[in-house]
Amino acid sequence: MGVKLAVKMINLDPRAKIVIVLCLSTLAVFFNTPGLLLIVLIITLLLLQIFQVKYISLIYKFRRLLPVLFVLLFIQSAFTGHGQVLVAFGDVHILTTGGVSSASCVLLRMLILFGSAMIIATSNSRDYVLALVELKIPYEIAFMVLIALRFLPVFVQEAKDTLIAIQLRGVDMQKVAWGKKIKVFTYIFSPLVSNVLLKANQLAISMEARGFRLYPRRTYLRVLKYNSLDYLITILSLSITLVVLTLSIIR
Amino acid sequence: MIFMKMVQVGFSYPGQKKPLLNDINFSIHKEGITALTGPNGVGKTTLSKLMVGILAPSTGHITLKGQNMSSMALAQIGRLVGYVFQNPEKQLFCPTVSEEIGFGLQNLELPEHEVQRLVKENLAYFELEHLAQNFPLQLSEGEKRRLAIAAVLVLEPELLVLDEPTTGLDAYRKHLLGECLLKLVASKRGVFMISHDSNFIDRYASRILILENGRLKENGC
Ligand SMILES: Nc1ncnc2c1ncn2[C@@H]1O[C@H](COP(=O)(O)OP(=O)(O)O)[C@@H](O)[C@H]1O
Ligand SMILES: [Mg+2]
Repeated sequence: MGVKLAVKMINLDPRAKIVIVLCLSTLAVFFNTPGLLLIVLIITLLLLQIFQVKYISLIYKFRRLLPVLFVLLFIQSAFTGHGQVLVAFGDVHILTTGGVSSASCVLLRMLILFGSAMIIATSNSRDYVLALVELKIPYEIAFMVLIALRFLPVFVQEAKDTLIAIQLRGVDMQKVAWGKKIKVFTYIFSPLVSNVLLKANQLAISMEARGFRLYPRRTYLRVLKYNSLDYLITILSLSITLVVLTLSIIR
Repeated sequence: MIFMKMVQVGFSYPGQKKPLLNDINFSIHKEGITALTGPNGVGKTTLSKLMVGILAPSTGHITLKGQNMSSMALAQIGRLVGYVFQNPEKQLFCPTVSEEIGFGLQNLELPEHEVQRLVKENLAYFELEHLAQNFPLQLSEGEKRRLAIAAVLVLEPELLVLDEPTTGLDAYRKHLLGECLLKLVASKRGVFMISHDSNFIDRYASRILILENGRLKENGC
């Protein structure tokens, strides 16, 4: 049963997934109390659970942000005077409930945004292009998006390789000062840009050589269809979000 | 003295079920030209990347001059082992050919005139003088490879690792490369090269290793 549901959800139309993500992120941006945000986060995590996405590693990655959050916590406490004072040093407020709540809001929001982005990642990038085509976006543009997505990992890999080559020629990244690090990054950039231009050029030539854009329409081997589950989910998420938003505005 | 030693090294890329490399044991002394051959995709490039610390072994360990390689920074390894990528484009990143050759030297805190002298010398040796101010990524394949080799050799590493260095070189440039490798060997340095070029191997290699099904065999010739 669980597996079957997961398969159904993963095969959801990409447009339905976009709707879910838009709803979640709208709520995340709109709410500004930790309690409500926590509820949205729990819903996000439940959805991730249904999609069978392993989200534990995401949460684990966020530990790197903790120092930033602590700084935020103290700054918010010291300068926005609202809430009760928990810790004070003379006249300076070190920790206030207002500070705690805004820092936790930031954390929760980020978790929700990243978590819902992981829902998007359960569809193949190709499907999003098909979704764009269905939305009557010209296929030249849809194709450009597809190619950008397709080549992104290649370029990331290329940048990593260049960084390795630079280190092998005697630059110790752990030891160079910050100013010099920026210089190193300019070294990574120039081959990258030149490669991107070169690849784009070659690709354009080989695509035209194979008849791309000869005719205004193109045959797609896979056609997206919005089925009943997609409609159900779209309507459900939109209406819940709208109801929740109106309720909280009225109150 | 043993320069580099692999002990029971195994390696697999993330998500691979069967390990690509299995129980690899071998030592390299700083002498002669060692050639590594084997069919496409057996993991020769992967093995060479392990040798310079770009990849870390999944099992076993590698020592360089008696020190465990996993505790060394790439920059440290790069001083001892020079590496020429299979695709030379990957290691060209400077705006001009002469800067490309000078890049490593500038990191050694050499005086400027010394850097310039060495750059000139190498430009001449690899016949790249007329291209000194060109953009490296717009050179021809063979020129890119010569430049990549020059940029690494100028640092005078004790061991030079080359991944399929003869691809894209014409007969005359192959000969030049071979002579250059022999010169290195004469100055008490080691060369480790991956190659399919049996003529080149027969002519220059003093030791031949064969990689097959994840295991390494030594060809006693
Ligand atoms: N970064 C990588 N991630 C996953 N698999 C890889 C990666 N690099 C190479 N491989 C795979 O490992 C195998 C060996 O590759 P490689 O060492 O380049 O072979 P060779 O140089 O002997 O032709 C190939 O099957 C290749 O597809
Ligand atoms: Mg290879």
